[in-house]
Amino acid sequence: MSSEPLAFTKSTPLTMGVELELQLVNSRDCDLTHAASDLLSQIAKRKHPGEIKHEITESMIELSTGVHTRHGPLLAELKQIRGVLLDEASRLNIGVAGGGAHPFQHWSDRRIMDAPRMQHLSKLYGYLAKQFTVFSQHVHIGCADGDDALYLLHALSRYIPHFIALSAASPYYQGVDTAFDSSRLNSVFAFPLSGRAPFVQTWDEFNAFFGKMRAAGIVESMKDFYWDIRPKPDFGTIEVRVCDTPLTVERAAALAAYIQVLARWLLVERPHKISEDAYLPYTFNRFQACRFGLDGEFIDPVAGTRRSLAEEVTMTLGALTVHARELDSEEALRDIETIVRGGNDARWMREQFAASASLPDLVWRQVARLRAET
Amino acid sequence: MTDLFFLPDLRAIGYSLPWHALLLLAAALSGEGVHRWLRLPRLLGWIAAGALLGPSALGVLDRTSLDAMAPLLNIAAGVVLFELGQRVDPTWLRRNPWLLGTSVLESAFGFAAMYAVLIAVNAPPLTAAVAAAIGISTAPAVTLTITRELRAQGQVTERALLLTALNSVYAFIAVGVLLSWITREHAVDWRVALLHPMYLVFGSLLAAAIYAGASLTLLRVLGRRHDAQFLCVLALVATAVWATETLRLSLVLTLLAYGVGIRIFDRQRLFVAMSFGRVGGILLIFLFAMTAARLDWALVPAGVLSGGVLIAARAAGKALGVFALAPASGLSLHKASMLTLTLMPMSGIALILVHDTTRFYPQFGPSLAAIVVSAIAMLELLGPLLARFALVRAGEAAEERQ
Repeated sequence: MSSEPLAFTKSTPLTMGVELELQLVNSRDCDLTHAASDLLSQIAKRKHPGEIKHEITESMIELSTGVHTRHGPLLAELKQIRGVLLDEASRLNIGVAGGGAHPFQHWSDRRIMDAPRMQHLSKLYGYLAKQFTVFSQHVHIGCADGDDALYLLHALSRYIPHFIALSAASPYYQGVDTAFDSSRLNSVFAFPLSGRAPFVQTWDEFNAFFGKMRAAGIVESMKDFYWDIRPKPDFGTIEVRVCDTPLTVERAAALAAYIQVLARWLLVERPHKISEDAYLPYTFNRFQACRFGLDGEFIDPVAGTRRSLAEEVTMTLGALTVHARELDSEEALRDIETIVRGGNDARWMREQFAASASLPDLVWRQVARLRAET
Repeated sequence: MTDLFFLPDLRAIGYSLPWHALLLLAAALSGEGVHRWLRLPRLLGWIAAGALLGPSALGVLDRTSLDAMAPLLNIAAGVVLFELGQRVDPTWLRRNPWLLGTSVLESAFGFAAMYAVLIAVNAPPLTAAVAAAIGISTAPAVTLTITRELRAQGQVTERALLLTALNSVYAFIAVGVLLSWITREHAVDWRVALLHPMYLVFGSLLAAAIYAGASLTLLRVLGRRHDAQFLCVLALVATAVWATETLRLSLVLTLLAYGVGIRIFDRQRLFVAMSFGRVGGILLIFLFAMTAARLDWALVPAGVLSGGVLIAARAAGKALGVFALAPASGLSLHKASMLTLTLMPMSGIALILVHDTTRFYPQFGPSLAAIVVSAIAMLELLGPLLARFALVRAGEAAEERQ
C-alpha cells in the first residue's frame, strides 16, 4: 500500500464530462438481464466516441463522454454513444433504459461481475453490493488545482438537493412505490463511507485527512469514499454523484450543463462563504429532495429561510443568466426550467404507471424514452 | 376365511395402484438424487426413473397404464410449448435478420447431413427424408427446463430458445409435407397432399390466434391475481391440446403460436410475469418420465452405431449453420459453439413425430426406427448434459441457489 500523498492533476477549469449507468433489461418481462458481456463484446468491434464499459453487475453498463467545455458538443457525443449502444442492443434483443433503479428487479438475482475489484466489493459489503444495483449519473467538473476543487465541492454542496430533485427517477423499487422521488440514494446511504466530505479547505489539509484514513486502514483509495461530491485528483475534477440516471440523454446533458454553469458562478463570483455551519441543514435538505422531489422543502443554510425546491431552483436559474450565456448553455437551462415546470422523471414514471398499471410496461416505456421515441 | 370380508383383496392391487403418484415419487426422488450427488440436471433423474419403471426395463408400468396417462402427457407437452412460445420474441428476427438465416441454415444443414448418412445406410429416399426431418427439432422441454434450472440469461440462452421454437416448427412442417408426399405415392389425390400441410399450418395458426385473443380477454376480466391467471391459462392450454387433437391440427405449431400470440397481443405487458410455477414443474416431471418410459429402449443396441453416426451428422450440420452466420448475427465463436451444443437435445417432440410417422406410414420400417429411436435415446441422456455444460461454459448460468 502506497503512502504517497495524492497529487491533484491540474485540469482546465469548468471542463465537464458525464458518466451514465444504464439498465439492461430483457424484452419479455422487462426484468434486468445479464447481458453486459455479450453487449460489450459486440460494441468493442465498433468505432464510437467516449467509452462504454462494465459496471458492478452484468445487468448494468456505463457510458462516459470525453472532456467538454460546451453543452452542445456534450449532448452530440452522448447521442452518438447512445446510437451505437442501442444499435447493438437491438441486434441482441436487449432493452436499455435510464432511471435510477429498476422498478421491480429482485436484488438476490443479480450477478456480480467477474472482476477482482467487483468480487472484493461483493465480499466486503454482502447484500449491500447486490442491492447497490442502482443507476446514477456522475458529472465531473474540471478544477485548476486542489484548493479550488475543495472550494467548489463545499460551495456546490448547498445545491445537492437541486441535482437530486431535478434528476430523480427511481420512485419504484423492488416492486413498490417507495413514496420517494429518488429511492436510489437510500441504497447509497447504507454504505459506511457515504455522505459528505469533511470540511477541509486546502488540498494539503485534505491529504492530511486522507493520509490518516489510509493509515488507519479505513480506505485504500479515493474509490472507497461514496460521498455525494468527491474530488477525483487523477482527473483534476470534482465529481457530483447524487443524480439518478435520467430517462433521456438530453436531460443528462442539461443536468451536466446546469452543474457547469453553477460552478462558474460559484468560482467567479464566490457568492457564498463556505463553512461547516452551512452543512447544518444538509441532510434535512437532501432527505426532502429524495422524498418529495421539487416539492420538497429547502432550508437556506445561511439565511435560515424556507422555500420549496422548485422556487429555489427557479431563483438560482435567475442568478445564472450571465454565466449561461458565457458557456452557451441557455438551451440547457431552459431544459432545467422545463423540469421545474413539468415535473421530473419520477413524476413521468408515476404517470405512466398510473396509465398502464404494469411495472414491466413502465420499464418498456423507459426503454422507448431513452431511444427518444416518446 | 370369507368371514374376513373387510380385508383387502390383494389380487386386484395391480389395477388400482395410483401409477401417476408412484411414477412422480420415483422421478422426484431420483431427480433430487441426481442433482445432489452427481451434480447433474434433475431431469436426468426423471428420465432414469421413467426408463427404469417403463415396459423396456422393470415393467412396473405397462403399456396400459402408460396409455391411461397419455392425455396428461399431451397437456404437459402443450404447457411446455406454450411457455416456450411466450419466451420467444418474433420481433427479434426483424431486428436481426441473420438470426432467421441462422435458424434456416442450422435446420437445413442438419437435415442434409442426416439425410446423407441415412442414404449411405441404404434407406429409401423418402423414408430417410422423414427421419432426417424429425432430427431437425431440438427438444423444447429440455431447453426450457435446463435454462430454468440454471436460471440462465444471455445470448446463448435466448438464441437457443428461439432456434428451438423455430426448428420444432420446421420439423413438424417438413414431416407433415413429407408424409403427404408419401401418401401421394401410395395413390392419394395430389390435392389432398397439398391441402393437408396447408390445413395444418393455417388451421393451427388460426386456432392459436383465437385462443390467444380469448385468453387475454379472460385474463383482463380476471384481473391481476397470479393464481387465478395461472389456473385460467392452464385450463385453456388443456382445452387447446384437446382442440388440436379433435381438429387434427398440429400440437406443436398451435401451442407455440398460442404462447407467441399471448405475448404479441398483450401490449401493456400485463401478463408477462405469469408462470406455471409448481404445477408446471410437476407436469414437466411427468413429461420426462413418461417420454422415457414410452421410449423403446430395446431398439437401442441394434441402432447404436448408426444412431451415433446420425447424431454426429446432426451435430455437424447444426454447427455449420450456427457458425456460418455467427459473426454477422453478433455472436462470438465461443458462444456459437456453446449454442450448437444447446441445440443438441432431442426428446419428446421427436418421439411424437416418430409415433405419428409410424401410425400414418407403417412402412417406416423397424430398421430405420431403430436408428432414429436409438439416436433419440442417446440424446435423451446426452442432450441435457451437453446443454447444461454449454450454458455453464458460456457464463450464462446463475450461481447455485439453495
